[in-house]
Amino acid sequence: MELAAWLIFLLPLISAVTIGIGAFRSKPISAGISIAAVVGSFILTFVMVANGSEFPDGQGPSPKVSWLRLDGLSVDIGLKIDGLSKLMLCVVTGVGSLIHIFSLGYMKEDRDFSRYFAFLSLFIFSMLGIVLADNFVMMFIFWELVGVSSYLLIGFWFDKPSAADAAKKAFMTNRVGDFGFLLGILMVWAAFGSVSFDVLEKEKATVLCGLAGFLIFCGAIGKSAQAPLHVWLPDAMEGPTPVSALIHAATMVAAGVYMLCRVFFLIEGTWAMEAIAWIGGITSLMAALMAVQQDDIKRILAYSTLSQLGYMVMVVGLGGETNSDYYKITNVAGTDAAMFHLTTHAFFKAMLFLGAGSVIYACHHEQDIWKMGGLRRRMPRTYWTFLIGTLALCGVPLFSGFFSKEAILTVAYKESMPLFLIAVAVAVLTTFYMTRLFLVAFCGEPRSKHAEHAKESPVVMTLPLLILAVPSVVAGYFNMHAPDPLILFASLIAVVFGALLANSIYRNATDDPLPVRLGFIARAMKARFWFDEIYQWFIDKVQERLAKLADIIDRWIIAGLLVRGAHGSTEFAGRVLRLAQTGNLQTYAFWFAAGLAAVLVFALS
Amino acid sequence: MDYLFFIVMLPLLAGLVVGVIPGDRIGAIRGVTLGASWLTALLSLIAFCSFDPNGGLQFVTEWTWVESLGLKFYLAADGINIGIIFMGAVVAFAAVCCAGDVTHRIKEFYFLLNLMICGILGAFASMDLFFFYFFHELALVPTFIMIGVWGRGQNRNYATYKITLYLSFGALLALIGLIGVYVQTGAESFSIPDLMKAVEEKPITESAQQWIFPLLMFGFGILVSLWPFHTWAPLGYGAAPTATAMLHAGVLKKFGLYGLIRVAIPMAPVGAQGWLEVMAWLALANLLFCGLVAVRQKDLNLLIGNSSVAHMGFIFLGIASLNVIGLTGAVLVMIAHGLLAALAFGLSGHLYQQHRSLDMTRMGGLLRKMPLAGTALLMAMMAGCGLPGFANFAGEITIFFAAWSAGFQTITVIAAWSALVIGGLYMLRAIRNILHGPQGDDWDNASDAKPLVATAFGLLLAMLLVFGFAPNLLTKRINGEVEKIVRLAKPEGAAPEKVEVVRR
Repeated sequence: MELAAWLIFLLPLISAVTIGIGAFRSKPISAGISIAAVVGSFILTFVMVANGSEFPDGQGPSPKVSWLRLDGLSVDIGLKIDGLSKLMLCVVTGVGSLIHIFSLGYMKEDRDFSRYFAFLSLFIFSMLGIVLADNFVMMFIFWELVGVSSYLLIGFWFDKPSAADAAKKAFMTNRVGDFGFLLGILMVWAAFGSVSFDVLEKEKATVLCGLAGFLIFCGAIGKSAQAPLHVWLPDAMEGPTPVSALIHAATMVAAGVYMLCRVFFLIEGTWAMEAIAWIGGITSLMAALMAVQQDDIKRILAYSTLSQLGYMVMVVGLGGETNSDYYKITNVAGTDAAMFHLTTHAFFKAMLFLGAGSVIYACHHEQDIWKMGGLRRRMPRTYWTFLIGTLALCGVPLFSGFFSKEAILTVAYKESMPLFLIAVAVAVLTTFYMTRLFLVAFCGEPRSKHAEHAKESPVVMTLPLLILAVPSVVAGYFNMHAPDPLILFASLIAVVFGALLANSIYRNATDDPLPVRLGFIARAMKARFWFDEIYQWFIDKVQERLAKLADIIDRWIIAGLLVRGAHGSTEFAGRVLRLAQTGNLQTYAFWFAAGLAAVLVFALS
Repeated sequence: MDYLFFIVMLPLLAGLVVGVIPGDRIGAIRGVTLGASWLTALLSLIAFCSFDPNGGLQFVTEWTWVESLGLKFYLAADGINIGIIFMGAVVAFAAVCCAGDVTHRIKEFYFLLNLMICGILGAFASMDLFFFYFFHELALVPTFIMIGVWGRGQNRNYATYKITLYLSFGALLALIGLIGVYVQTGAESFSIPDLMKAVEEKPITESAQQWIFPLLMFGFGILVSLWPFHTWAPLGYGAAPTATAMLHAGVLKKFGLYGLIRVAIPMAPVGAQGWLEVMAWLALANLLFCGLVAVRQKDLNLLIGNSSVAHMGFIFLGIASLNVIGLTGAVLVMIAHGLLAALAFGLSGHLYQQHRSLDMTRMGGLLRKMPLAGTALLMAMMAGCGLPGFANFAGEITIFFAAWSAGFQTITVIAAWSALVIGGLYMLRAIRNILHGPQGDDWDNASDAKPLVATAFGLLLAMLLVFGFAPNLLTKRINGEVEKIVRLAKPEGAAPEKVEVVRR
């Protein structure tokens, strides 16, 4: 079992290295290696979970490899395997396997097919590193590696300036979050003298200061794209669609939530919790509002992802009661609900993205929903799976998203009324924008030539959709709790109201009537509340000017005035002194006499 | 076996052989140099692997030269310099691989190149202050000549003057400090282990330490482009031939840092106390200020030069922390940066050779045009902004831990911002401008790296990755030696002070 744990972790790395070293010359071999690695990891995970093998408390599978060992600072590469990481392993390798297979069809004609699979394997390896990390530094290492693999995949079509820019933006925004994360790790280490989760958990008696907790959360703000660092995620849709499904919907962006659950014992009971809850709540509302006015099918889903991640972050911050019998995934109501929603969301959101990918593929890379329409009869499998995903995302009863959303609403209701109201409002908006997307893209009449000639995608693409449809429906039953009647009522009203409203506006609509009706508000939503513009202004006016100032000082003051000044004054002194060396005997005699006189005056006075 | 003796003498021998080969036998000249540097690198690999982390001084060659002065030709390796020598020998081999851009006066160039390699390796292998300094000068003088004669660009003459004046002045200051150390210890010996023993029994008087340390700090500091004495570096490297820039930025520059760790800190710890805070702030200036300057650069070589100066800030910060974690991290970054700087200058040299211009605004899409060199450049840029998996990250994060525990919290915060965000900004912009996007118009005729050059890039990258994945390979060798130095400098406690637990 120990070997299995290490293999789960290392198989994708082996795949990435093999492809990178030489296998990239053959497309089928590269894809084969990559798919074999991730499916292998999935099977081993499944075996491990089915066996229920537990490693003794505080002891991951040996051997633990020492990465760095110094007096006072010791970092291991060790695996932490518990309920939390097992659940996340299932999600990452399970969804990962299906998306690898989907990519076979979607990327078939790409000239860099092999590079794509090498990057995917690299990503899976990095992601598994975060999931399995047993200490903060190891988590940070893989945190950054996930960032770079996402960078490489967003910028996969790097010839396209927009893709290259989006990749850069994603990496930089993540870096800002990682800056806080690193400082948080430093503070934790300074306070406890260790970075190992097990050691820290034993020393729980000491309470960490809220600032350290908040700094650690900064890592999650970046990776899980919470406000105000959410700006990179919509742009990240420049990457290939399977990448959006895997990285920017199901796994990487969930890493922040996972990390918060992993280190929940550290931040519990500090003011950081409130900050986390409110940032999550605000993100979920803001992103839902932005989603209402987007026209790009992938961007709508991206904002929806942001909004759902806000839900998860919010509920982690709310905390709630501890009850290890009732809450099976983690012991705390908040983290349990967050992980529950993370899991169901991973399945149905990955399916929605793959469905979007199938549509985009069929419509010859058309992404504007207003140029689609009438896809229902042309792409039945995609249509039905997309419908299931939409129902699950909206939280329609009996679909998986319903149960996990209930869990979140329950915690919010108990802990904070304002956040509960925000959450219900978000539920209304979610149903509204998803119904809009669904009606416009799939129903009505085709509004472009591409949509008219759309054909159902090949089996290699629809099969993963059909497989994902299963957990999207049933995943909720594994962690079901009896719902509170009031909350059940609130969420039902939200779904019905949102759906009816969208239906009345968008049924058979040929263009969006909202901008006319709402005016400024609709414009603000469409412009994403001008976050990008504000940041661009900051970069141009502050960052660039600072750099310019430094450059001017360097060029003109340090190198110019000081260095050339020293050089110049030396030369000047030389020239002045040279005036004395005239070669004229009389001048020398004069200076000699003058000097003698001066000495005499000085000595005698 | 006396690996070190052969490691230092092989390049000298190669230089002499090059000296007697007729100047028109270019193939022979290159072959001899390449073979010798390959053998040197191989020997240093064997030495590195057979080094015993708990064995003290190893591979000793000790010949008395002037008995009355205590002058010895004394080569030996301990945990600190074994890694640097290994790195230096590999960089030397890579530099010789990349030296193909020199097209006139080839014999003279290769003679000087061999001399420089011998000086570099000798400086780090010497355990005798005199030879430590002598070998450094032996490497420095060819550097000046090579930039002056084989350099490139319009600023070549100005750059040569500037680098010569700066480095000579820095070396002079350091020399006064070193003489001070020799006289004030009264050990009648130039041998570093003897001097260490002498100050352990009877430290140098405090008043003498007060002037010795600043002399060494600024003398060595100028050699390593400590802010604000850094302006020679980007300019000098921009004008230098590829191999010279690789060797100087990669290895020779580390001499000053090595001297600080090896001589200044252990010999004048009391003098250091007052100056460490200054050093930490100057280190921050390196990181932040030169990082910002790098953001503005349009020329790839100036960007690499400024970022290389910025990275020196990490090492100074590690030294200023003066604890085991910090000094170990400093040595780690020295080695990592050596490999990285050599790789970066090697790559920019390759690009320059293709197009005679390094204007980044006119590049673009080169990853398609030259997949090998492009990928290497991408990885070098990633290593440069501290991506885990490359050795630089291991050293940098270690230094953050050290500086934080040494009480430099504010500095650590700004340094982390400079490293993660500003460092990321200019590196990613460079990738975006050079490698991504549509191809620049003037680059149609550019070709990818030839096998020899590609080997050099691959080798340097492999080393960066190996030490990045397993920094323990280095730290377990460095750790013990550094502990001795910290114990000498701070007898009260070598372990980092535990910052009091912060309550909410």
